[in-house]
Amino acid sequence: MKIAMLGWEYPPFKAGGLATHCYGLTHSLADRDDVHVDFFMPKTRHASRSDKKHLRIIEVGETQIFPYDRPDSKELSGQFFEAVDKYNKLVVAMVKKLVKTEGKYDLIHAHDWLTMKAAAVLKEDLGIPMVVTVHSTEYDRSGWLYPNQWFIDIEKQGMEKADKVIAVSHFTKRVITEKYGIPSEKVAVIHNAVYPIPEGEKQDIVLFLGRLTIQKGAEFFLRAAKKVAEYEPSTRFVVAGTGDMLPRLISQALDLGISDRVIFTGRLTDEEVKHIYGISSVYVMPSVSEPFGITALEAISAGTPTIASKTAGFSEVFNHCLRVDFWDTDEIANKVISLLRYPPLRKTLVQHGKKEIKLFTWDRVAEKTIDVYRGVL
Amino acid sequence: MTSACIYFEVHQPMRLNRFSVFNIGKNNDPLSTYFNHDLNKNIFEKVARKCYLPTNNLLLDLINKYDGEFRISFSLTGTFIEYCRQYLPDVLESFIELFKTGAVDMIEETYYHSLASLYDELDEFEEQVKMHNQIINELFNYKPRVFRNTEAIYDNRIAKKIAEMGYKGIITEGTEKILGWRSPNYLYKPVNTDLKILLRNYTLSDDVGFRFSARLWPGYPLTAEKYASWIAHCEGDIVNLFMDYETFGEHHWTETGIFDFLKHFPGEVLKHEHLDFVTVSEAVEKYEPVGEIDVPWAISWADADRDVSTWLGNDMQIACFNELKEIGRKLREKKDPVLLHTWRMLQTSDHLYYVSTKGLSDGDVHAYFSPYDTPYEGFINYMNILQDLKQKINQ
Repeated sequence: MKIAMLGWEYPPFKAGGLATHCYGLTHSLADRDDVHVDFFMPKTRHASRSDKKHLRIIEVGETQIFPYDRPDSKELSGQFFEAVDKYNKLVVAMVKKLVKTEGKYDLIHAHDWLTMKAAAVLKEDLGIPMVVTVHSTEYDRSGWLYPNQWFIDIEKQGMEKADKVIAVSHFTKRVITEKYGIPSEKVAVIHNAVYPIPEGEKQDIVLFLGRLTIQKGAEFFLRAAKKVAEYEPSTRFVVAGTGDMLPRLISQALDLGISDRVIFTGRLTDEEVKHIYGISSVYVMPSVSEPFGITALEAISAGTPTIASKTAGFSEVFNHCLRVDFWDTDEIANKVISLLRYPPLRKTLVQHGKKEIKLFTWDRVAEKTIDVYRGVL
Repeated sequence: MTSACIYFEVHQPMRLNRFSVFNIGKNNDPLSTYFNHDLNKNIFEKVARKCYLPTNNLLLDLINKYDGEFRISFSLTGTFIEYCRQYLPDVLESFIELFKTGAVDMIEETYYHSLASLYDELDEFEEQVKMHNQIINELFNYKPRVFRNTEAIYDNRIAKKIAEMGYKGIITEGTEKILGWRSPNYLYKPVNTDLKILLRNYTLSDDVGFRFSARLWPGYPLTAEKYASWIAHCEGDIVNLFMDYETFGEHHWTETGIFDFLKHFPGEVLKHEHLDFVTVSEAVEKYEPVGEIDVPWAISWADADRDVSTWLGNDMQIACFNELKEIGRKLREKKDPVLLHTWRMLQTSDHLYYVSTKGLSDGDVHAYFSPYDTPYEGFINYMNILQDLKQKINQ
């Protein structure tokens, strides 16, 4: 089975779960004898390479690093949309060229709105089936406040064109069927997985890690931090990541009078991310809308008990974490303080959580994805 | 002759209020802030309507119909009796009426349905058994002769204590762990003291308690006739059928046919000439032990493990249990009846049960009974309350 997979980000270039998913999926697929994957992505400053026989990383075009999410300035937006459009066209040309020189693909697999247009063209021109995976929708990324119709249209057309849609959770499947009108039987749910991260020397740190956008709810983290700070004088709070909300969050911390207790790290390297997961005592994921939330599984794998939004996709199938309404900062603070004060709570969550994590492997994701491929071939 | 010995456990815990770390040290009246009055009242009234009142009525009819040949036993916990007194005295009246027929026996247990039998010293346990004895005597003018510990928790130490306190019999689980190849359908005695042990026939008990409405179970649908024939085929002196009273109308709704089953059950059993019914007191009068039982480590009738891991199976549960014991030690010096009563209400084993993180199949049962979304929420809430109580004692 030969797959043309159209991606946007891939480690080391990484803005979110999309890159993690593409890496895990392509690696596990390439480990199988019956699958060959060509993974297409924009050329970035960080060259991505494959060490697998059945996996080729094919970089296309000359795109600079662009945010996964909406850009914050209009000028940059123009460039961003133009770049995405250009990338889609280049991908189409490159796939067609390879078909001529190397023979045909069996299937096109696109990820999120960024590559859906190219996939639709290729499906039409090459006459092969198309699968799309939805990692997040415009509704998620906008925090359900002001979703942009332009994105929604691309997503809707892409999903309509696809032979099968993969959603990363039942939560996302619901959005796809209810908001995009895609028939339920056309949508498969495949929950994400995680590569475990080693546990470090734990410190009195409460961690937020994610894109600093409206979707991820860092402002609720800071409000909870304010309450925790009053009760736990030695605890520090780390906000890791970057995004358009960063300046606002910094001034929020000042207004709350906790700027001496909060560390904003900016964008972290992979190694730094692993380190901070490893040494934190509590991870908080107060996302307004969270299709899956791989970061929660990463934190748990590093022995960091996790407090996550009730609606987060991963928690549909994961038991050993604490759940909150993202807006309920009193309850977030209650749970953070309980975790800091009661070691048996931490210990039990970590013990069971690490065991449960073992069920979330990329091999399982690959196997289920192949089932989807077989269904449309 | 084989006797069917039917016994029902009747218990409701006092469920807790949501109590966050921010509530610790910020209130004066533990009883009203710890316990969720509205939730408890609602649940109790619902269960009374669906189970206690209709089942009591049906049993009264059946006892009258079979002229006392249908005989049963009850264990009412102290917290259950408090519920009745507070919310629905009619429920208590209907139990008294049942008892007056002479076909009903009362079983002793700890007043608070607690794990006091697992403390390092047994003084608190003894105290709670005496409190139960007192309230049963007050209500029914009767002193129970047979004891059943919380969820049938049993070991040699508990048996010895119960024998010392003058009881004739004790109830526990008929698990292979203690029986090996032997049958639960006889009386046994503890290896270390003089007492008769009644062992629950868990297969037949759970056929009704757990499986009655399980459509995938080969025994489905379970009719009274079929069930009576299973009992009739049992070898031995006595078949002990012990279950939650809420089996009727609550765990299995009216629509499942559970009341019809109960209605026809005594008649179907009595059709077999070699079967009769006995109460637990009559059972220990009538039969003699056929062997000894040695239980150095506590067993119970809970979950698949049949041990105390249901309440003390993870670090969170052990931490709460240790806090409870420590609070007890501190309270001994401080003679404060309100705090003492509060501490005892918090000893009800259900609070620890909600903190259990057992695997999936048992987890389902736990989730069914728990007012919390996860055991972790259960722990945080319970532990916060214990911390608050500790602060109050230190004041």
